[in-house]
Amino acid sequence: MDVKITQTENKYDVVLNGRLDTTNADQFLKDINPLMEAANPDIEVDCTNMEYTSSQGLRMFLMLQKSVGSKGGKLVLKNMKAQVKEVFDITGFSSIINII
Amino acid sequence: MIIRFNPIAGKCGEIIEKLMSSPDMPKDDSLLFKIRLSIEEAVENIVRYAYENGDGWMEAGTMLNGANLIITLRDAGKPFNPLAKEDPDITLSAEERKIGGLGIFLCKKLMDSVRYEYKDGCNIFTMTKVIS
Repeated sequence: MDVKITQTENKYDVVLNGRLDTTNADQFLKDINPLMEAANPDIEVDCTNMEYTSSQGLRMFLMLQKSVGSKGGKLVLKNMKAQVKEVFDITGFSSIINII
Repeated sequence: MIIRFNPIAGKCGEIIEKLMSSPDMPKDDSLLFKIRLSIEEAVENIVRYAYENGDGWMEAGTMLNGANLIITLRDAGKPFNPLAKEDPDITLSAEERKIGGLGIFLCKKLMDSVRYEYKDGCNIFTMTKVIS
């Protein structure tokens, strides 16, 4: 999983590329740490090239949502592939994370 | 196809790839996605929790029975029924949701059936998916 983060003031544009699974979830958590530390972040994640996520990936997204929510920030995931979206739907994550 | 892995600590990725390269796997991308995800969740569960004090072995097999793909995982770790755990409440808010507990729930939802038994000192976890 390749993570690119571009920051402009409190706006974070994140581009994900690849597969998020048990082998790289820990690294992913490190990669998104700046988003967890941010004070009042407005985060938009482009999931166009996110091929896959396991429960380990979902765990990271929930941690991020909890962190952002507690700081009055915003998190939006966009352009998610249908197969990945299905994983978010099955687990109820589509109703706790804003997916457009 | 049955493959035996020993040791299994840190081998999650390798075990998943070996299973996914089985000739029994379907060609359809959407099915493969669901099968890979279920295998990852089940294998990770065993690799992380089966052998608390050290390491051990795991046998992973695939077979076709008519239209059914059957995936069987066997280990000699501590007896543990992953299906005994209650499903997560997916109606809760982000604040209320607990981190984790989604892996085996995904297996249940993505496969057509999942089964657990403890036999001859081994945990046996079996997942079945109709692939045609």
